Amino acid sequence: MALPPPDPQFVLRGTSAAVHTLHFSCGGQEPDIPTLFSGSENGFIHVWNLKTHRVDTELDGHGRKSVYYVETIGSKNRLLSQGRDQRICLWDLAEGRTSVTDSVFTENVGFCRCSLLKVAQGRWLVAMAAKALEEVQVLELPSKTSVCTLKPEVGAKLGMPMCLKLWQLNCGSQPLLLAGYEDGSVVLWNLSMGKVLSQLVCHQEPVMSLDFDAEKAKGISGSSEKVLSIWSLNEQQNLQVYKTHKLVNAGISDITIRPDKKILATAGWDHRIRIFGWKKLKPLAVLDYHTATVHCVSFSDHKNPSERLLAAGSKDHRISIWSIYT
Amino acid sequence: MAARPLTPPRRVEGQHRTDRRRETRRTATPGTDRARRAGRGRWKYSACAAASPQDRQGAVGGACVSRAAGTFLTTLRPRSAGGRFLSRCRARRPARHFRHAAAPLREQVGAPALRGRPGPGAREAAAGRCRDSPRRSRPPPPPPPQLLLPPCRRRPSMAVFDTPQEAFGALRPACVQLTRAQTMENVARLQAHLAAVSASALQELQEYVLFPLRFALKVPGPKQERLVQSVVQCISSVLAATCVKKQELLQELFSELCTCLSPPSSSSNPVPLSEELKLAVIQALHTLMHSAYGDVIWSLYQPTALPLLGFAVSLLLGLAEQEKAKQIKISALKCLQVLVLQCDCQEHRHLDEDEAQQCGDLFASFLPGISITLSRVITGDIKQGHKSTVSAIRLFYLIVGLVMADAQLARIAKNKEKLPVEESRISELMVHRGPDWSKSTAEKLSLLLHKMVEFSSVHPHWKVRLELVELVHHLLRNCSQSLVDSFSHLLKALVGLVNDENSEVQSRCKEVLQGIAEQRIVAQNRALADVLSENLHSLATALPRLMNSQDDTGKVSTLSLLLGYLKLLGPKINIVLNSISHLHRLSKALMQVLELDVTDVKIVEDRRCEGVCGPSGSLQHGVQKDRCQKKYFRFFTDEKIFQLLQQVCRVLGYYGNLYLLVDHFMGLYGESGMYRKQAAMVLNELITGAAGVGVDVLQEREVSLNVDDLKGSIMSILDEYTDQANWYLITSIDTEEISHEHSVQHSGLTAHPGGACSSVLLLSSEPHITTRTMNSNIWQICIQLEGVGCFAAVLGKEFRLLLLSALYPVLEKAGDKTLLISETALGTLVDICKACSYDSLQCLINENSDYLVNGISLNLRQLAHQPHASQVLDTMLRHSDASLLPLVEDVIQDVLSALDQSYNNQASTFLGVLHSVMTALVQWFGSSSGEEHQQRQTPEWWSGTLSQGQQVVTRQEVEQFFLDYVRQKQIAEGNLPDTGDEEPDEVLPLAEPEPNNSDTEGETPLPSHAQLAKDVMERCIHLLSDGNLRVRLKVLCTLAQKCGDFLRQRFSKDVLPKLTSSLLSQAPASARAGPVYNHTLAFKLQLAVLQGLGSLCEKLDMGESDLNKVADACLIYLSAKQPMKLQEAAQSVFLHLMHVDPDSTWLLLNEVCCPHQYEPPHISLRPVKLSGMGRQRNEFTDNVLLLLEKLQQQESVMLPAGTQEASPP
Repeated sequence: MALPPPDPQFVLRGTSAAVHTLHFSCGGQEPDIPTLFSGSENGFIHVWNLKTHRVDTELDGHGRKSVYYVETIGSKNRLLSQGRDQRICLWDLAEGRTSVTDSVFTENVGFCRCSLLKVAQGRWLVAMAAKALEEVQVLELPSKTSVCTLKPEVGAKLGMPMCLKLWQLNCGSQPLLLAGYEDGSVVLWNLSMGKVLSQLVCHQEPVMSLDFDAEKAKGISGSSEKVLSIWSLNEQQNLQVYKTHKLVNAGISDITIRPDKKILATAGWDHRIRIFGWKKLKPLAVLDYHTATVHCVSFSDHKNPSERLLAAGSKDHRISIWSIYT
Repeated sequence: MAARPLTPPRRVEGQHRTDRRRETRRTATPGTDRARRAGRGRWKYSACAAASPQDRQGAVGGACVSRAAGTFLTTLRPRSAGGRFLSRCRARRPARHFRHAAAPLREQVGAPALRGRPGPGAREAAAGRCRDSPRRSRPPPPPPPQLLLPPCRRRPSMAVFDTPQEAFGALRPACVQLTRAQTMENVARLQAHLAAVSASALQELQEYVLFPLRFALKVPGPKQERLVQSVVQCISSVLAATCVKKQELLQELFSELCTCLSPPSSSSNPVPLSEELKLAVIQALHTLMHSAYGDVIWSLYQPTALPLLGFAVSLLLGLAEQEKAKQIKISALKCLQVLVLQCDCQEHRHLDEDEAQQCGDLFASFLPGISITLSRVITGDIKQGHKSTVSAIRLFYLIVGLVMADAQLARIAKNKEKLPVEESRISELMVHRGPDWSKSTAEKLSLLLHKMVEFSSVHPHWKVRLELVELVHHLLRNCSQSLVDSFSHLLKALVGLVNDENSEVQSRCKEVLQGIAEQRIVAQNRALADVLSENLHSLATALPRLMNSQDDTGKVSTLSLLLGYLKLLGPKINIVLNSISHLHRLSKALMQVLELDVTDVKIVEDRRCEGVCGPSGSLQHGVQKDRCQKKYFRFFTDEKIFQLLQQVCRVLGYYGNLYLLVDHFMGLYGESGMYRKQAAMVLNELITGAAGVGVDVLQEREVSLNVDDLKGSIMSILDEYTDQANWYLITSIDTEEISHEHSVQHSGLTAHPGGACSSVLLLSSEPHITTRTMNSNIWQICIQLEGVGCFAAVLGKEFRLLLLSALYPVLEKAGDKTLLISETALGTLVDICKACSYDSLQCLINENSDYLVNGISLNLRQLAHQPHASQVLDTMLRHSDASLLPLVEDVIQDVLSALDQSYNNQASTFLGVLHSVMTALVQWFGSSSGEEHQQRQTPEWWSGTLSQGQQVVTRQEVEQFFLDYVRQKQIAEGNLPDTGDEEPDEVLPLAEPEPNNSDTEGETPLPSHAQLAKDVMERCIHLLSDGNLRVRLKVLCTLAQKCGDFLRQRFSKDVLPKLTSSLLSQAPASARAGPVYNHTLAFKLQLAVLQGLGSLCEKLDMGESDLNKVADACLIYLSAKQPMKLQEAAQSVFLHLMHVDPDSTWLLLNEVCCPHQYEPPHISLRPVKLSGMGRQRNEFTDNVLLLLEKLQQQESVMLPAGTQEASPP
């Protein structure tokens, strides 16, 4: 008989609003305190100290509008956050500061999370949904110069972009963008040409989340329906459906592949977190703790594999921390 | 036998002398005195005052003397044999001449004495080497204590004759007389004259005065013993006042005096010398040794003088061993001490390194004899008095310390030096202290030391024990390498004496130990450390046996010994710990010694009183309470023993490798349930010790502790302690609890596959849970709790980080039903507060609510932990404030969902929690209306129900809820009333105006706390039909308060008859039952009914007939034969009844027993007759009287004083 699923290692409370996004920053050496950033519906970003399990700092920069994306840029002292106030903020957190150093006005009314990619030392690309409904804009940071705007062909009827993933095969190669659209299709964009390389209809419903493993050239996407779709990218840069996985309950709000590419976690509308083996999509565990939709899942970047954690943020205001061994 | 009657007066005499001696000492020490006088002499006679060296002084002084002596001798010339060296005296070399002059005399007078047989001691002293020496060469002699001289001589005021000329004039006649006739009178006369001569003058005339005295000793033929004695005493007095400045004089006097001690060998049947004589000679020798200085005295310690010295040593040893008189013994020992240049008095300069080496070489020859004889003296009859034993011990260690000194032995060349041929005979007598010699000598000494130590460590006189301490100290300082094998015994004695009954011994012993530690004698001497660890090993091996067999005093000394070894080892403890067998022995010994006595049933039976105070009440209480329940051990009772064991563990922790120790004892902890408690105790103390808290050590450790290491160890121990298998143990056979605990273990088993084996171990005991097991489990939890407290204390604020995992489990135990556990947990909480510097428990709980909520929430997910979790929540709620509402809200949702899933099992537990939630909400949000509410609800302090807060929090909600509820209930029961007018009256007063009500039913969202309250109440709807009687009664009570009439009807019709009949039928059974009955289901039912019935009756405002039924049923439970708890519960029923209908209750009670006679106030009234009047005391009397008294009190509060008389029928 299989072991019963474990309990969370810890539950972080105190955001007093639904949690929409999580990001770990635990890679530092000893004196550095492992940290978890969480963005919640009330517009606050909480900086959690994972030693005391308490909030160290509370950042308020999105006018009390939902924060749905948080990511560190380079070190954990520089933070990027995206909120429903249509802004992307850059924070300086060094030496206890809590100031917004720069911001980008996206003019996008949707809730598509942006995607960040480091292309060179001190140079990042960020992809985000643009003002026009179907467009995606790519900027370079920190200069904020526009790299390109990706417009689907007229009549493609993709709908709004729902999720984005910037990636590159290896350092220095051409960055590519994967975007999931409202109509259920995943599109691979070439940034330099601004052209669609491949398009694959994976879902009948909007693509809620996707993640991509550049090594295996395989990606996974979830939508509001009961299906997880795994697709692969062949050498001709064509997307192909590789496999689909049926779920019991509909709705996946987030998918994350663990950095070591061994397992992945999904955040379900059914309040559950599901863990799968990435290779064959073998279901490993269903983590049942939350009492409302789980909005996001995130794996930690601890140096020591045994310390690595999984965090899930939910509509029930809680962040559950799990220790997922291998 | 013959000597016996003589002894006492002699002793008195001796004492007199001693006193006198002291007196003189006080005036001036002989040395300074003498020096002063000598100085004066120099001033008078010589111009070279600036030249201070002794020899100069001697030469100048000698010149003066020679002049004086010349005059003196001139008068003697006609008859004296010495006359012939008159001219040589004039030649200013008086000493030599004198000696030459004396030589023929000695040949005549001293010849027989030379042939005198050496004392028996001599043989031993020289161990065969010196044996024949007295015969072969000049026979040597001994010295006496420096005192003993007629006091007058020392007093300057008595010195009438200050100049040598005057003195010479005064002394000459007496000297001449004595030379002519050696009689006692003449000696006495000289002695008397001496008293009148100043010391400086006497110094000039020293040899002149000594001459007739020495002559008297040498006169051939038998001498009167008393004459010899007085002559010797006279010599003493001369020597005491003067300095011997010539080597020859010293040696001759020395040998002459010694000769006096050895009985003449001529007579075949030697008459023993008188004790007075012996004493006098010893003292004279002593004085002689003190009157010689520097090179002069040094001449005695040349290899050539060895035979002489050996002779004296053997004589004195013989006296010390065989004499019966204490005074002689002691004097002989003292004299020996001087002889080996180890005198206690300050006058002697210290030997320099080379001199010491030379002496060591010399005395090595005597070592066997001296040590054997002394060891015999030391271990001899206790009746010999402590003084001789003390002196013997002192002499022993001084001589051994000298001869076996590491510093000296290290300088000894490997091979014996060849001495010049002429000295070869002497060199045969000399010992070469090479490695072989020192090894074999050390072996022999070890035997002797062992014997001595055994004997004197238990000597009844403390001074002997004190001297033993000195012995160890001295030898350890000087011979820690050469005598390493003896230290096993020596250290044992030393360590053992730390707890001597005499405080002086104790403190000296501590001092010495401290000194040893500070000088790192052990730390730098691997061999010594090995000896200690060997000792430790054997002690650890014997420890369990000793603990079993010894009495408490014996155990204390055994354990002090153990502790002492550990302390002495200090940083070297790791040598012991690194050896598996050592560690194993030591830990097993500790495990066995620390075994707890788990037979006490009371520990299991003492329950925390629930109800009014609850956890919060006891929390407050716990803050002031002195913590730490006394533990009862199987093998000892004395608290001191436990403290020693604590110290042992702490010292281990202080010096030892913490990782190693923690690992080892954690192993034991997990190894067997038998060791678990002890191992936990040891671990707690180890950590305390490692942090250096409350540990008493002799020396600092070498490496100070790394806080991270400590924290690491603590974290791993903490994890182990709070592991499910070790934290949730069966401590009660309460059916409810037991089912939880068991499921805990099962779940523990599944959730932690790693801990499976230990869980299995516990599970196996399931079928037979004895009191013993439970007691043991209780103690284990307590020890672990104490451990948490220790850890907190050790880490201080650092512990705040660990609160994340530690606070919840501790708080859980604070709510435990077992009194001991909850109190210990409270103590731990107080410790944590202190350590982490929280002002109060409230602060602690409040500031860490997030951790607690996390624990609660996670534990609620597991059925088995739900009761604990709810207890913690309960406690938390009592100490939180409104700021925590978001957190609380969150967790209440968890509670409710947990409740939803387990109405069957946990409902009553959760009800309690929900009640506290409501109470808390009232406190936080309902303060304004609270007072109003309380005024209306007069005597409801006791109602431990859900309802209290509800009306206040959200009036509309409550009202709505109950209206709904009643309707639903009626429908459910198929008892739908015709109209809605059954709505409870009690609720109405609380109702707000109707419009207000409808307003709030609109869309406006309720404030979160109101929403919460609503949620809570919705759950309660179902509870009335709960299967558990307790829950049902509780809910009934609540409802009764709100909707009385309807329920009253139903209750009196359906419920009451069943309850009363069950009470009646059960009563005989419970009255008969023994204490075990308290654990049966029947008992619990009875208790529940009795506890609930009273309040129910009051709430329902029952009619008289029903009340009577209740009263009748409960009356039998007032019997003293019923279990106490039932009696108390029955009392509570009556107390409630008193509120409802005091009069009828009064009557009922008086029918049973009436303590008073009621006199009618007027004659026309008939006297009152109550059936209870004048009855014999019976089983009901006590309880009834108690209740009547309470009733009286209640009435006197309600009615104005004086009117309560009117209550009778």
